[in-house]
Amino acid sequence: MRTRSKAWKALLAAAALLAVVVAAATAAADSSRAAAGTLVVDKSFDLKTADPQRQFEVTGGIVAHVLYDTLLEFRGSDVATPRPSIATGYKASKDAKTYTFTLRKDVRFSDGTPLTAKDVVFSYRRLINLKGNPSFLLGGVTSIGAKGNYTVVLKSKTPNPALPAIVANASLGIVNSKVVKANGGTDAVGADKTDKAEAFLNRTSAGTGPYVLKSFNTTSRVELTANPRYTGRRKPKFANVVMRNVLAPAQLLSVQRGTNEISIDLSPDQAKPLFGNKNVNVQAVAGPNIWFLFANSNPKISEITSNKRFQNAIRYGLDYSGSVRLAGKGSGRAAGVVPSQFLGALGDSAAIEQNLAKAKAELAASGLKDPEVELEFPSDFTSSGLSFGVIAQKVQADLAKVGIKANLVGKPIATSLANYRAGTEQLGLWLWGPDYPDPNDYLVFLPGQLVGLRAGWAAGSDATLEALGRKAGSTADPAVRGKLFKQLQTQLNQRGPFFPLFQPGQVVAASKNLTGVVYNAQFQIDLSTIGSK
Amino acid sequence: MLPGRSRTRPPRVFLRFLARRFVALVFLGLGITLVAFLLTNLVPGDPAAANLGQRAIEDPAAVASFRERYGLDKSLPEQYGIYVWRLAHADLGESQQARLPVTQELGTFIPATAELALLSILIAVVVGVGLGILAAIRQNRLTDHLLRVLSLTGVSMPTFWLALVALYVFFFRLAWLPGTGRLDPQFSEPRHRTGFFTIDALLQGEWATAADAARHLVLPAVVLALYNIGLLTRYTRTAVLEVVNHDYIRAARAKGIPERRVVLRHVLRAALPAVITVIGLAFANVMTGAVLVENIFAWPGIGQYAYRSATTLDLPAIMGVSLFVAVVYIVVNFIVDVLYGVIDPRIRVA
Repeated sequence: MRTRSKAWKALLAAAALLAVVVAAATAAADSSRAAAGTLVVDKSFDLKTADPQRQFEVTGGIVAHVLYDTLLEFRGSDVATPRPSIATGYKASKDAKTYTFTLRKDVRFSDGTPLTAKDVVFSYRRLINLKGNPSFLLGGVTSIGAKGNYTVVLKSKTPNPALPAIVANASLGIVNSKVVKANGGTDAVGADKTDKAEAFLNRTSAGTGPYVLKSFNTTSRVELTANPRYTGRRKPKFANVVMRNVLAPAQLLSVQRGTNEISIDLSPDQAKPLFGNKNVNVQAVAGPNIWFLFANSNPKISEITSNKRFQNAIRYGLDYSGSVRLAGKGSGRAAGVVPSQFLGALGDSAAIEQNLAKAKAELAASGLKDPEVELEFPSDFTSSGLSFGVIAQKVQADLAKVGIKANLVGKPIATSLANYRAGTEQLGLWLWGPDYPDPNDYLVFLPGQLVGLRAGWAAGSDATLEALGRKAGSTADPAVRGKLFKQLQTQLNQRGPFFPLFQPGQVVAASKNLTGVVYNAQFQIDLSTIGSK
Repeated sequence: MLPGRSRTRPPRVFLRFLARRFVALVFLGLGITLVAFLLTNLVPGDPAAANLGQRAIEDPAAVASFRERYGLDKSLPEQYGIYVWRLAHADLGESQQARLPVTQELGTFIPATAELALLSILIAVVVGVGLGILAAIRQNRLTDHLLRVLSLTGVSMPTFWLALVALYVFFFRLAWLPGTGRLDPQFSEPRHRTGFFTIDALLQGEWATAADAARHLVLPAVVLALYNIGLLTRYTRTAVLEVVNHDYIRAARAKGIPERRVVLRHVLRAALPAVITVIGLAFANVMTGAVLVENIFAWPGIGQYAYRSATTLDLPAIMGVSLFVAVVYIVVNFIVDVLYGVIDPRIRVA
C-alpha cells in the first residue's frame, strides 16, 4: 500500500510541475503578443545569399527588392511597364541596341554616400563577371558605360527590347561600389574566382533600398530594419521586418493566430480554411509559372510523338478547363506560353479548347494504331503546392479518351531534369518560370532554342515561326511587339509541340490589419508598401 | 559481489580497453568517409544542375566555373583524396548552397539541435525510466497496463503527425506555447557563445530572451521525446523485471532495506546496462533524427540542414552531415561502452 501511495504521489507531483510550467509559459506567451511594429513574413526558404548580384531565388528576390533599388521598377501587381526608380527614365535607340538611363541626383546609400553612375557600372559588371545564376540577364549587353556622374549607357550587339524589364530585376540592384570593393568585391574579369564580398553582404547590406539588413540566416530567418537615409518613393511603414523559414502547414496556423503576419507559401488547397476567415485577407491569383505538356518532335526519340497529326490529337484531346480546376483556386488557363500578366499574352478566347471528335480524327489521320508512349514528369517535385503526379494522371486520363495510351514515368527531379534537358523524353510535363517579366524570355520555346530543343524541335523546323520570333524579339515599340508575340503564340498553339495547360494559383494570406499587401509576379510582395490599419 | 562493486580496479586493463576502442573509432571514421563519399557521388544527379538556375545551367562558362570551384572537374579518386586531405586539416569544404565553409555551417546548426536534443533526452530519460520502473514494480496491475498502452502509443505515433497536432493544440487552439522557430520575431538572437540560445541569453543578462528561447524549446523537445519515452518505458520495465526477482534483491528486502533504496540502489543499478544502451541509441536518434520535427517547427538545426542539403544535392554539406551523424553514433557508442566498463568490471576484461 505504501508503495502504491508513493507512486501516485510522484505522479501527482509530476502533473503539478507540468501545470506550473504550462501556466508560466502561457503568461509569457501573452506578454510576447503585445509586441508590435514588426512585420512577420512566413515563407519556405529557398535562400542562398543576400548578395544581390549572386541571388536569383524567390526568397532572395523578396529580400533584395527592399535592400537594393534598381534603375527601373515594377509597381503594385503590374509587370508590364517598368517605372522610374533610381533612374528618372530612359531613352532607347530606334534599333533597341542602345539604352541611356538618367539617374536621380538625390539617391544615397544607407551609409550616406551619394549614388553615381560608377556604382551602376560596377554592379552590372560584377553581375556579369561573377558568372552566377543571374549573370545571363546581361548576357546580350556588350558595353556598360557611364557618361558623367548621372548617366549610364548600355549597348547590345543585337536589339534588346527586354532590357527595361531586365534592369528592374532585384539581381540588378545597385550596390555601393566603394564599400563592396573595400570588402573584397570586384567587377573585373575573373570575379567568379576573386570576388570575396559575399560574406560581407550577408552581414551588411550596401544598397539604397527602404530597408537595411539586420541579420541573415539562410535556414531560419532574415531581419530587416528601416533605412533612415532612404530617399525614394517606397517609404517603409514597418520599422522592422522578420522573414521566417516556415513550412506551409505551420504558416497556416501562424497567419490565423497572429497580427502583422503574412504567409506566401500556401497552396490553393491548403488555403481553403482561410477563405471566409474574418481575421485573414486572402488573395489567390494566377502566378507567372506556365505548366505545359510537350510531345518530342525528334523521330529518333519517338516516331509516334514526332508525328504532327499525333501532336494535334493531343492538342485537341486535353481537357484544359479540368486541369485548371484541378490546379485550385486562383489558377488560370495558359492561353499561350507567355503568362497572362506579361506584354504579348494571349487572351483566354485565343486558347485551344478540347474537341474530342477532332482529336480522334487527327489520331486516325496520323496512321498510328493504338499508340503507346511514355509520359515523364518529376515525381518528387511540387510547385505552388501542386504535384506533377496529379496533373500527369489527369493528362493520362484525357489522352485515354482519345485512344492514346500514356504510361506514366515519374522520376526524381534530379533524374527527370537531366532527361528533359537532354531532350530524350517522349512526352514531358514541365513548367517554365519567368526569368524576367518580358515575352522575350519565352522565345526559348521556338525551334532550336533552349526549350524547343528539349522537345526535339531543331532549328529550321519551322522557318516562318522562327522568323516571326526574331522579329518579335527585336522590335523596340512595345505595342507592336505585343501584337507580334500574340501572332507568334497563336501559330505556336496551332502547330508547335507544346501544349500550355495553366498558371497555378498563387496564394498570399495576410492578417486583416495589414494594408498594401499586393502579389507581384516578379518580386512576390513589396515589403516596403505594407502597413497596418 | 554486486556488479560494479569491485574495489580493485585494474587501470591498465581499463586503459587498454579505452585504447582499443579509440583505434577502432579512427578506422571506423575513415571507412565512413569513403562510404559516404561514394554514396553521395553515386546519386544519379548533377550538382551543377541542382544548384544553377534554368538559364545558368545552359551557360558553359557558369557551369565550368561551378565545377572548378567545387572540384567536380577532377576524377573521383582525386576528389576523395583532396577531401580526406582537407578533412585531416579540419576542412569539410564549402557548401554549394550557402557558399560558406561546411564547418562554419555545422557550427551554427549543431548547437541548435544539441540544445533541443539534450532537453528532449532529459525529458525522455526522467519520464521514460521513471515510468518503466513504476510499470515494473506495479507489474500486471492497472498502472502497468495503462503505462504499457501509453508507451506503445508513444512508439507507434508518427513524429510528424504528433508535431502538427501539438502545434495545432498548444499553439493555435490553446495559445499556451509559441509556434515555430527558436525565438519570437521581436527578439534578436543573442550573441553566439555556446549556440544554446537559453545559455547565451542568460550569459548576456537578456532574461526575456532566455525565457522566450526556453518556451520555444518546450513543444519540439516534448514531441521529440515522446517516442523515446515510450521506448525507455518498455526497455526499463523489461530490464527491471529481469533483476527484480534475483536472490540478492530478495535478500536486500529480507534485510529490511527500504523499498525505495532497494529499487534505486540495487534493482536499477543492475538493470542499468540495458537501459544505458537504449539511452545511447535514443540520444543518437534525437541528434540525428530530428529532420521532421525541425522542419515542422522551423528549428534551424542539423535536421533542416540535412534536408536542404539533400534536396539540393549539396555534396560537401551532405558529406558534412553524414560525417556528423557517424561521429555522433561512434561517440555515443564509445561512451556507452565506457559506461559499461565503469558499471560492470567484467566487461573491461572481456
